[in-house]
Amino acid sequence: MIGFRLSAQRPPDPRRINDVVVQRIEHVYEVDPALMRDHFQQHDFPAWDTRRIVDSRWEHLAWMHAHWADSVVSGEELMSTEE
Amino acid sequence: MTATLVTDPVIDELIGICGPDNVFADKSSRVNRARVPAPFPVHRWAEHVPDVVVLPTTAEQVSEVVKLANRHRIPVVPRAGGTGLTDGAVPLRQGIVVDVKLMNKILELDLDDRTVTVQPGINMLKLNEELQKYGVIYPDDPASYPCSLVGGRIGTSGWSLIGGRYGHTRDLVISFQIVLPTGELIWVGDGGGRKVRKSSTGYQLKHLFMGHQGTLGIVTEAVLELVPRPEAEFAAFFSYPDYETAWRSTGALARSGLATLAGVVLFDEWKLAYLRRDDEAYIPQPDDVRCVVATAMYGTTDEVRPGAKRLLRIGKDTGGAYLGDEISQGDWASRHDRYATPLHGRLRDGQVVPMSWHCEDASINWTQLPAVREKWHDIVARLGDRFRIFDDWGMFAYTNAAFKPWGDYLTEIDVGIWEQELDDEAWDAWVTAKRDIAAVSIAHGGSISACHGACRAGEVDLVPEEMGGGWDVMKKVKRVLDPLNIMNPGKYLLDQAYEDGPS
Repeated sequence: MIGFRLSAQRPPDPRRINDVVVQRIEHVYEVDPALMRDHFQQHDFPAWDTRRIVDSRWEHLAWMHAHWADSVVSGEELMSTEE
Repeated sequence: MTATLVTDPVIDELIGICGPDNVFADKSSRVNRARVPAPFPVHRWAEHVPDVVVLPTTAEQVSEVVKLANRHRIPVVPRAGGTGLTDGAVPLRQGIVVDVKLMNKILELDLDDRTVTVQPGINMLKLNEELQKYGVIYPDDPASYPCSLVGGRIGTSGWSLIGGRYGHTRDLVISFQIVLPTGELIWVGDGGGRKVRKSSTGYQLKHLFMGHQGTLGIVTEAVLELVPRPEAEFAAFFSYPDYETAWRSTGALARSGLATLAGVVLFDEWKLAYLRRDDEAYIPQPDDVRCVVATAMYGTTDEVRPGAKRLLRIGKDTGGAYLGDEISQGDWASRHDRYATPLHGRLRDGQVVPMSWHCEDASINWTQLPAVREKWHDIVARLGDRFRIFDDWGMFAYTNAAFKPWGDYLTEIDVGIWEQELDDEAWDAWVTAKRDIAAVSIAHGGSISACHGACRAGEVDLVPEEMGGGWDVMKKVKRVLDPLNIMNPGKYLLDQAYEDGPS
C-alpha cells in the first residue's frame, strides 16, 4: 500500500495537441479546459489515479483479446515478412 | 386496448407465483426499468414507469404471470439486459415488467452435438468465460457484449460484429422455448428437434418469433450454437484520404472470399472528425486520414495468417494505408464493448455538454451507401440547425450478411443528444428526423433496421410501408396469438390489429 505522495497528485502541465485537445499524460487526451467552461467543468484528478485508469484500460483490452482467441496476429510482423 | 389494473390483490397473486423476494413495487425498481439506451423522451419519463416488476426464476412462473395478466387484462413487457437501441423493453402502458435476469443458468452443455442450453437471462461474456475451458465459444458479439442478455438478443433478432464469419443471433440460436401471450409454453426452431439446425418440417416458426420485441411472448430457454474457440485473431485498420476510395476498398475487402473474415467496418468522414475530436486512438492521426476501414479475422492460425497477408494486400492495393498494430488491435478489442464509452458532445461553439449516444440503423446495400450517407447527414444537420442539443457523431457501415460478408451493410448514424434539454418540440423534431432517416432507407431499397428493431417512435410509422402486404399478415398473427393485446401493447403499431375491438 502506497501512502500519500504530493508529487503523485498533480499532473504535469498540459501541452497542446490541436485546437480542441491538450495532453498531460501519455495516451490521455483531454478536452481543452477552455471548452469546458459554460455547462460543466473539468474535475481535478490526481495523476496517480489517471495512470491507474490507463493501466486498467490496457489490461481490459488485453483481457478482451485473450477472451476471444488464443493469440493475436500482428499485421506489422506479417508485412515485414512480406517484403 | 387494455387498462392498468395492478391492485394489491394482483401483487399478492404475483408474490404467490414468483415468491416474496422477486416482486417489486417500489419506485426505484420500477423507474429504473422504464427506459433503455434507445431514444427516449426523458421529459415524459413518468409515462413509462411500470406498475410492478417481477423477476421469475422458471418458465412455469413466467407462464403463470402471463396467464394472470390475461385474467386481469394487465399489459406485460419482458425485459432482459435493458440495453436495446430500440425501445422493445420500454413499457408504453405501464403494467407488469417481467425481468428475466434471475433466469441466468446454463442448463446443459453438449460437446458432442455442439450446443449449450441456457436460460434467457445469461450474458454472452459470462457464458463464454464458462465455455472457454471446453475449447468452444458462442460467437454472438454485439456492441453490448458484456451487458446484454440472450433473451434480449432473441427479442431484437440481434446483429453480431463477427456475423460475417459466424452468423447473427437468428443463425446462432438453434431453437427456443417461449411463453405465448396466452401463457402456453412451446418450443420453436427449424422443425421440432431442439438441436437440429436445418429442417423442412412445417413453417419456420423460429423466425416468426425472432425479433418479437416483446409483442409475441417471453423466451424462457434457448439452445445455442457452439463453435471452436478461435486459435487466432487478426485485426487490420486502414486509412484513406477520401470516402470514395474507402467505400470501394470496403467492397473489395468484403468480397475477398476469405473464409475467416468476420467483418468489415467503414468509418465515414463525419465519424473520423468526431473521433479525431473525442477519441484517444484517433486524435493523433494526421489530417489526411479522412476515412477508416476496419477488418477482423478469426479461425485457426493456419487459416488466419495467410488470410491476413492477403487481406493486407487487398487493403493496400485498393488505396488503404495500414494504421499499425496498436490502433488495429486496441480499437478492435474495444469494439466488443461500446457501452463503456463515457459520452459528451459539443455545441456548435465547441463547448462541451453532457450528451447521450443515440444510434439510428438500417440495412443498406453497398451500392447505395454513398447516397444514403449524404441524405442522412443532411437530415441531422437540419435538426442541428434548429436545436443545439443534437450533435452529428458520424456514420459506420458494417458488413451485415451472415457467413458471407458482402452485399448489404448495417448502416448507422450516431447522434449525440443533450437529453436534459429535451422538450416536446425538440422530441417531435427528433422523431420526425428519425422518420425521415427511415424513409431514405426504404427509398434506397433497404430496411429500416438491421439490428436494433424498427419499433422506435418515428421510423415505426413506416413499418407498414416497408412490409407491404406482409403488414396485414403481421397484424393477423398478433391478434391470433395475443387476443387480448396483453404482450407489450402499443408496440410496433400493433394496436391496429385490434381496431374493431379484441377478438
